Amino acid sequence: MPYHTFECSKMLPDREKHAVIKGPGEDITSALPLGNLNTVPGTITERGCAYCGAKHVIGTPMKDVIHMSHGPMGCTYDTWQTKRYISDNDNYQLKYTFATDMKEKHVVFGAEKMLKQNIHEAFDAFPNINRMTLYQTCASALIGDDMDAIAKQVMKERPGVDIFVCNAPGFGGTSQTGGHHKINIAWINNKVGTVEPVIKSKYTINYVGDYNIQGDCEIMTDFFNRMGIQVISMFTGNGSYDDLRAMHRADLNVLECARSAEYICNELRVRYGTPRLDIDGFGFDLLAESLMKVAMFFGDDCVEKAKAIIDEEVARWKPELDWYAKRLKGKKICLWPGGSKLWHWAHVIEEEMGVKVVSVYSKFGHQGDFEKGIARCSEGALAIDDPNELEALEAMKMLKPDCILTGMRPGEVAKKIGIPYLNIHAYHNGPYKGFEGWVRLARDLYNAIYSPVMNLAAIDISKDDFDTDTGFKTRTMLSDPGVPREELHTENMYTGKMDIVTPLRGKKYDFPAPEPKADAVV
Amino acid sequence: MSCEIKSKKRAGIINPMVTCQPAGAQYASIGIEDCTAIVHGGQGCVMFVRLLFSQHLNENFDIASSSLHEDAAVLGAVHRVEGAVDVLLERYPHVKVVPIITTCSTEIIGDDVEGVIRKLKKGLLATKYADREVHLLPVHTPSFKGSQTSGYDAAVTAFVKHFATKTDECNGKLNLITGWVDPGDVAELKHLLKMMDVDATVLFEIENFDSPLMPDKSAVSHGTTTIEDMQGTANAIGTIALNKYEGGKAAEYLRDKFEIPTIIGPTPIGIRNTDTFLKNVSKLTGKPIPESLVRERGKAIDALQDLAHMFFADKKVAIYGHPDLAIGLAEFCLDLSMKPVLLLIGDENPNYAKDPRLLAIKEHAEFDMEVITNADLWELEDRIKNKGLEVDLILGHSKGRYIPVDNNIPMVRVGFPVYDRAGYYRHPKVGYNGAVWLAEEMANVLFTDMEYKKDREWILAMW
Repeated sequence: MPYHTFECSKMLPDREKHAVIKGPGEDITSALPLGNLNTVPGTITERGCAYCGAKHVIGTPMKDVIHMSHGPMGCTYDTWQTKRYISDNDNYQLKYTFATDMKEKHVVFGAEKMLKQNIHEAFDAFPNINRMTLYQTCASALIGDDMDAIAKQVMKERPGVDIFVCNAPGFGGTSQTGGHHKINIAWINNKVGTVEPVIKSKYTINYVGDYNIQGDCEIMTDFFNRMGIQVISMFTGNGSYDDLRAMHRADLNVLECARSAEYICNELRVRYGTPRLDIDGFGFDLLAESLMKVAMFFGDDCVEKAKAIIDEEVARWKPELDWYAKRLKGKKICLWPGGSKLWHWAHVIEEEMGVKVVSVYSKFGHQGDFEKGIARCSEGALAIDDPNELEALEAMKMLKPDCILTGMRPGEVAKKIGIPYLNIHAYHNGPYKGFEGWVRLARDLYNAIYSPVMNLAAIDISKDDFDTDTGFKTRTMLSDPGVPREELHTENMYTGKMDIVTPLRGKKYDFPAPEPKADAVV
Repeated sequence: MSCEIKSKKRAGIINPMVTCQPAGAQYASIGIEDCTAIVHGGQGCVMFVRLLFSQHLNENFDIASSSLHEDAAVLGAVHRVEGAVDVLLERYPHVKVVPIITTCSTEIIGDDVEGVIRKLKKGLLATKYADREVHLLPVHTPSFKGSQTSGYDAAVTAFVKHFATKTDECNGKLNLITGWVDPGDVAELKHLLKMMDVDATVLFEIENFDSPLMPDKSAVSHGTTTIEDMQGTANAIGTIALNKYEGGKAAEYLRDKFEIPTIIGPTPIGIRNTDTFLKNVSKLTGKPIPESLVRERGKAIDALQDLAHMFFADKKVAIYGHPDLAIGLAEFCLDLSMKPVLLLIGDENPNYAKDPRLLAIKEHAEFDMEVITNADLWELEDRIKNKGLEVDLILGHSKGRYIPVDNNIPMVRVGFPVYDRAGYYRHPKVGYNGAVWLAEEMANVLFTDMEYKKDREWILAMW
């Protein structure tokens, strides 16, 4: 049996099949952890709730919207300003968040009246915003407020505003994933097909499952636009509410994070016949392949443009990626994201950066994510579903990784045992998508692993002999000890700008003229 | 010239200033040694609160969840508590104190937490963990009541009620209930007590929230107040609760139940409040205020005098945060000849409008001032953006960071949480050293702003 039992979880039968080590010659038929099951209470899980999956992960990256949660203020406050989903409209969605402030009297007598008042107040405060998403919380779900009815009333009273209601209370699922599902389905049921887009290009897509962390989505849409493809909507990073109502008109759904957003792609296929194409925006080879796949869907002119982009980008950035890869070779990392990055990255980060992925985990992934992830992992990798604090610690002590790719708080746990971390939810210095972005990830990884500060942490000045001849260490002194300076080729360390996203904003693109739609001909 | 104390008019919240009760109870729980709380509710109520603590302190803190899922929300979830207690105790052999912190969901479905604790005590604890000291205690913190402040208050009270045990002997110690403060504050308070030669039980000892990265990789961030410390609170020579709204109730309980001489307040922010604090310590312990503190105080006043009438006088300040902190900061600003024109407190409490500190400010305000309770951050932003309020300085926590960023107003980060400045938890806001730190922080922020805006920056050329 490839199942791995943690010492710390031996006494928990419910944790028995949640971790596997991919043994020699094994594949996913023999090594697959359980996934998406109820959490064992008291384990100190890293999982969040369905509300945050719906509101925080998928809803709030929408940029031109009042995001309101119907409940006590805590749900809103706690999830606010904890992630870097930026936008090109001065980050309205990061700056403003709304809570209905449910109090005891509302729990007893109902909160529909004050919900309505809240909605009006919010639109009054921001007269230029006339779109709203409204999220249920545990409290409003349990008292049974009819949020849909209130939203409809307000839409009648305030012509011109549009409100989306998402009923995904915190307890509604095993983790964030319950909320991902619910908001996908609510959006297609209630909003898709209610706006007709302006078609500017012969080729149109929805770019789905990217939340514009530090500008990821803007990097990708720049590629698509340069290929002559109009991106009708982004679901949901940097996405506009009304654009997302027009998702039904795209020729193709280009899907990135299948964990959080495959539901809507599947529904778009069923209801509107739109095909779904899964891609990877991370990694040179996968990204190049992905751009080609998208281009080939459309036509030769698109393929030519994609090739030109890939050639130019690879020529520009490959030497810098290779500089880091040479120094990252053999370094062990734990790839511990929320869900989809475990399969987006597992193979390509080994191939292109030379690191060894010794473990993958997922907080809210399903078995399907582990199928994809473990298939892409090399032998010996430890895969963990719904990891908890002690298991993660035990894994780190067992595997002795050089860096943990995870979120901020688990990163603090790793720090204490001398292991640096890289934030792959909000990123350190992203974006990490795109060719340059992948170099930025390699750079951040290198900077983490060869940090002169962390290098000091292991020294015990009371006992150890330590070097007293030098007042500093550079990163290359640690990564390339003894190598003469001229052989370091430091000119190939990352040369990009700090901010690579802002310059993309306002760029003009040429699109091939749209063909008149058959149904538009009289 | 008037000072109005009123409640926010709007029903809803635009950019919340405070979070809900369970977060406060969780902050109290991590101050106790061998204590890991179980939050009875959805997983987000823990996961995001732990992240919030991490954002502020750059450390990890362990708090467990009963992981309420759909079936439990419908059918009742006490069995999730039973499971959580067993799993937690079995996997964390050092854990002795397990507060069960409720949330909105489990309060609404009406889970009987007291009942399940009774059952666990008779069953699980008496059998499987018979050889182990384990304390289970309920902390009721429905999210639809109060705020993180009252949640903290409720948890401190619950701990004291559970543990305080009268013995025949006075332990000779002073109980110091700090309220929601930072590790830097506790270090400063302990410094003052040491100077006074006073032995104290600090609720809570959170200096270790600022923990090292050790060569042997052993360090963990967690509070160090022990069960014995809390038991001993019933045998103290006196209690001082610095913050009326965060720990005040626990102090009252000790006073009423065990007749411990008790002084509640003031929050020792600024020189005067620190003076009063030391006087109170002296009163309760009989220990004199030593020359060394006279000198420390003198240094602080010396530093403030360099700044006050030159740079601070008449500067308009907006302040938001926890009630005791915000009031303390306002008092300090007045001492520095500043004008705290707007004071925002994030929750509702009938006692705010009667708070003697606020009434004194109201009586003596030489300028138009507003105190808004149940406030959100929009109360500040809306006044600045749309209603013509002009302020020279903002004092508040990081959740309001876009107000200074978008309106080009200097701001000193103070309160909880601070995640957009480095290391603020390390510095004291209380005591004489806290007064110096706060004043110099304010001055330096104003100076940077003068340079950035080219606003008479030449004043600084010869300062």
